[in-house]
Amino acid sequence: MTTETHIDIAELRKKQPRFNAIDSGHRACLGCGQALGARLVGEAVGPDIIVANATGCLEIFTTPWPESAWRVPWMHSLFENAGAIASGIEAAMRAQGKSTKVVAMGGDGSTFDIGFQALSGMLEREHNVLYVCYDNEAYMNTGVQRSSSTPHAAMTNTSPPGKARMGKRHLKKDIVQIIAAHHTPYAATASVAYPSDLRKKIRRAMEIEGPTFIQIHAPCPLGWGHEGHESIEVERLAVQTGLFPLVELERGELTGVMPIRQQVPVTEYLKRQQRFRHLFAKGDSRAAEELEHIQALADHNIEVYGLRGEGVDRFDTEGSDTVHRGGQRWA
Amino acid sequence: MMQPLEGSQALARAVALCRPQVVAAYPITPQTHIVENISKLVADGVLNCEFVSVESEFSAASVVLGAAAAGSRAYTATASQGILLMNEVLYNIAGSRIPLVLTCANRAVSSPLSIWNDQQDSMAVRDAGWIQLYCADNQEAVDTTIQAFRIAEATELPVMVCVDGFTLTHTLEGIDIPEVAEVDAFLPPFEFGRKLDPRNPKSLGTLLSPDFYPEARHSHHMALEKAQAVIEQVDADFAAAIGRRSGGLLTVEGPEDARIGILTLGSVIGTFREAAEEGTDLPAAKLIKLRSFRPFPVEALKAAVAGLTDLIVVERALSPGAGGIVGAEVRAAMSELADAPRVHNVALGLGGRDIPMSSYAELLALAERDAPLRFAVFDADLNKLPEEDR
Amino acid sequence: MTILTRANFALPGTSLNYHTGTWRVQKPQHAHASAPCHGVCPAGEDAQAYLAALEEGHPEQAWRILVSANPLPATTGRVCHHPCESACNRGQYDQPIAIHLVERWLGDEAIRHNWAYPVERPKADAPRMAVVGAGPAGLANAYHLLRLGYRVDLFDQLPEAGGTLRTALPPYRLPREVLDAEVQRLLACGIDFHPNKKLGRDLDLDQMRLDYQAVFVAPGLQQGKEWSIDGVVPSDLHSGLDMLRDWISLGVVPKVRSAAVIGGGNTAVDLARILKRAGAAEVHLITHQSLPGDGHPLDVMSAIPREIAQAEEEGVTIHANRGVRRLILRGERVVGIEMVRMKKIDRGAGRPERVAFEGTETVLHVDQIIPAIGQALDADGMHALLGRAAHFHADTWGVSPLEGVFVGGDAREKSGGSVTAAVGDGRRAALAMHRHARGEANPEKEPMAQIIGIESLNLHYYEHAPRPDEPMLPAEQRRGDEEIELGISAEAVRGEAHRCLSCGNCLACDNCWTLCPDSAVLKTREFASDGSHYVFDYDYCKGCGLCAHECPCGYIQMAEDL
Repeated sequence: MTTETHIDIAELRKKQPRFNAIDSGHRACLGCGQALGARLVGEAVGPDIIVANATGCLEIFTTPWPESAWRVPWMHSLFENAGAIASGIEAAMRAQGKSTKVVAMGGDGSTFDIGFQALSGMLEREHNVLYVCYDNEAYMNTGVQRSSSTPHAAMTNTSPPGKARMGKRHLKKDIVQIIAAHHTPYAATASVAYPSDLRKKIRRAMEIEGPTFIQIHAPCPLGWGHEGHESIEVERLAVQTGLFPLVELERGELTGVMPIRQQVPVTEYLKRQQRFRHLFAKGDSRAAEELEHIQALADHNIEVYGLRGEGVDRFDTEGSDTVHRGGQRWA
Repeated sequence: MMQPLEGSQALARAVALCRPQVVAAYPITPQTHIVENISKLVADGVLNCEFVSVESEFSAASVVLGAAAAGSRAYTATASQGILLMNEVLYNIAGSRIPLVLTCANRAVSSPLSIWNDQQDSMAVRDAGWIQLYCADNQEAVDTTIQAFRIAEATELPVMVCVDGFTLTHTLEGIDIPEVAEVDAFLPPFEFGRKLDPRNPKSLGTLLSPDFYPEARHSHHMALEKAQAVIEQVDADFAAAIGRRSGGLLTVEGPEDARIGILTLGSVIGTFREAAEEGTDLPAAKLIKLRSFRPFPVEALKAAVAGLTDLIVVERALSPGAGGIVGAEVRAAMSELADAPRVHNVALGLGGRDIPMSSYAELLALAERDAPLRFAVFDADLNKLPEEDR
Repeated sequence: MTILTRANFALPGTSLNYHTGTWRVQKPQHAHASAPCHGVCPAGEDAQAYLAALEEGHPEQAWRILVSANPLPATTGRVCHHPCESACNRGQYDQPIAIHLVERWLGDEAIRHNWAYPVERPKADAPRMAVVGAGPAGLANAYHLLRLGYRVDLFDQLPEAGGTLRTALPPYRLPREVLDAEVQRLLACGIDFHPNKKLGRDLDLDQMRLDYQAVFVAPGLQQGKEWSIDGVVPSDLHSGLDMLRDWISLGVVPKVRSAAVIGGGNTAVDLARILKRAGAAEVHLITHQSLPGDGHPLDVMSAIPREIAQAEEEGVTIHANRGVRRLILRGERVVGIEMVRMKKIDRGAGRPERVAFEGTETVLHVDQIIPAIGQALDADGMHALLGRAAHFHADTWGVSPLEGVFVGGDAREKSGGSVTAAVGDGRRAALAMHRHARGEANPEKEPMAQIIGIESLNLHYYEHAPRPDEPMLPAEQRRGDEEIELGISAEAVRGEAHRCLSCGNCLACDNCWTLCPDSAVLKTREFASDGSHYVFDYDYCKGCGLCAHECPCGYIQMAEDL
């Protein structure tokens, strides 16, 4: 079965059977979930797009001048205006009579927090923009500070645990529900641990004329405190525990969930990450209580979204990442 | 055709003549009439453009930035708090070398809250890297708006057209609105070489290392310096096409042999002109109308003050703790002259305080002082202040 | 000098100018490992490889991969105790792949479609090799010698080839038409078969050493072992092996009402089942060994577990962990036996000892006792090889003390004692004979990539799926030669190919290609030089290890790369 002894890698790179909106040579950390997420999004959106990228890791690691990893027209303006920049580009496309789709991208900081107003305006005005939020649950680009997406009890550099605190005091903002409450045609959550599901949702969003939103849970090895090679393993647990439910909301109504076949205890997820290590302090009753609290949050998600699966399903948390010889998994 | 129009209405007509493809705005007094009139032109089908009613000035600036980057001619208008909310985007637009036009309906900046006119707002963003042109009247405002698109697109710099709020925006005047064909001939369709285009996918807004950052800033500075010639040329071209000048970088009026000069920006010059005409007993004075504050036309200014013993810089803003903003820059320019006039610097008419004709004579009297007036809020009545705050 | 662009715009894909590969301190590599099924197969079959070909929809190619090791798959698929399935990593996940059923199906398909063995007829002037014994070892040896380009003379003392397969395996386990078809197809590849030739009678080993490049001797174990209880032998004692042969060749055994078969091997189990078929009302099988899955692992019945289960279904009573303490005789005829419970236990003597437990004696009334406790070598014509030993001394390559003579099969000491082990002996000896002919030395053992354990697989990427049930002839219909195990359908076979975890070998699942955050894994339409569909682009690979961690098959390993 061995035929080739020499492969021209540069030529092979040109012949890859997928569209690479982001090419190699970008400077993301090892095992970066956002880099993976952005590449998966790029595959599904195809070349006829314009990207408006908020300030953040993705922007920084893809475009240190004179280099750019992007193969689609791309613009970075500021931290908090990706929604508005995208609105303007979309207005221009409309004015020019072009069908090019505009895709806005930002992290959780620029989406949940500082850029939220611009995003809300974009949704309200019904711009034909797909907004993709890479949610790694803190301000990673500035060195791991808490955002409104940071989960309860997580340690960041501005929510450190100590005698008086057990990490972040507040809850993770339920952004997808807030987005859906704009009467948005399509808002969904996705995870880089489930690439097929992610791309399916992106393609669905791309088909819709109007504002759509996808929140992609993307592990940050540096900020979460795990090894780069563990990114997918950790991320899969975020979904399988129920802490990050994969849902689809259309016009505010729940229209799809990825069922959890076997709910995994949250400790399995938490113990793999340094940001939760204070929750495993021996003999600290606060830690035990927080673990119970987080488990209750997961159970709550499972209940309100109806995530508990009813037996084996090829689209559930076990079936969705099943591999097949020849790669059909990734259709 | 000359017609009686409210300043804002005339500005809206002028903007429409420039065929912007995307207009984005958020309402703020006294800018509202401009964008309301544009909205109506869009609603009536007179102007075919995407009018984006955004949720903040921050987004207004961002929308026009995105639109222009995508190759569409774009326009926005704001004032006061709005321009301050835009501030971060204004820097970004200019540094990104994106051509677009913004009307600033000049208004005081809170606090104290005031909706009335001064120029603190545009002065506050003078370092953003925009071209700033100040208009003396509504005809100039209309003509400068049309010129602004040509200047912006020729220089790849954004242009802020500063029009005094209420004083101009809400005043009815007889204004000549150029014909469509004239403007079309003067202003060709917008072609942007760096536009966001899937067929030629560039990346805009990259991260620049210290190895190149100073060069980028230098090039931005030089772009503004070089824009002086463009501003003059476009004004000349406009005169050739439409038959009117708007004043290039600056204009000087008054007797050749006058030894006193008054320099100012915006509509107050109208009051001074009238006062000079009526005040036959007053000393002869030159009126210097500074149209281009950015770029700051040092050479033109040096020529304009030749022969003057006293130059009175009247401005509508201040830098608390330092004094005048324009005054400081004028003094800096004068320092290059061997026989520079004495520079007196005052702020006048802040927060919409009426500038009566009588103030002209009071200003000229400054030339009689032994020492030049470094700075004063000229019309402030200190009796209105408690002792300790005077 | 790099010149700044207007407002520092950048051109697409220029990040390729920056080689993030320089960050790397470890790098991913494709590391082919052996699947456990391959590692343990006595015949040397790579089941993973043929399951892969099957899943790709190439059954004939799958069979050719299979017969590149074992030319008798229709046979071994039926009679092997399939250690491959015991070792199969999938067994720790849900149920092992039914490898023996896939093997059997491929063997049957090959017969049905007359697929050609991957062998070329030897050249007329090719060197000659001799093979003595046409059992599984001899047949496999002859076949592999043929593949290596030799002319082969295959001798057997019986009129037909097949050896033990023919003399000791009941047709209900191995239908004769299957055996005949497979052996005939094999011989037809160009093996010169010489029946009715017996070493010591018709053939002389010394002469053969002169006549041939090398000689392979695999006579099997043809004689029953002697048996007595404290020197007492019943007058009407029958040898189990003889009774089995009679049944297979003549279809008759002496009529008995009740019998006790002594032994825990396949011969004992087969004999017990034959006695039931011959009409014995009661058949007991007595063994001091344990039933599979019970007792000391080194002291379990050597018979194939599924054969034991079938015997029980057919009414054979198995007395495990029992020893025969005493024969109860009336005159010289057996009327019963006294049994005692026994077990091999560790008493601190370094190795487990068999202990009889006093007070557990019971009496079993039977009118026949039939020992089936193993077979011995018929040493005729082989004294030079054997000396005083009961078995051939030889290494894994079958190299005997006699220059140019190679041995294998059941007669080899430390042979696996199974059909597949014999096939493996034949194959390895063929390689050794080839090396001998070329004057090359044998490696210490057969090269084999490291065997990969389940801990190296990423099981998240597989779905649980049941192993297919094999249809069986109901116990009440098992009266004679009818085959009991009926094989599985083509669809079920494909299902098994799909269930294969592809341990240590690329599944072409796209995981590495899909999950690399750096697009540093490139996909090839053709196979890359290492047999996968993927190439690492080390100019950009940062060495994060995600691909290795998420490879379902353990095919990617990280290596230091400083």
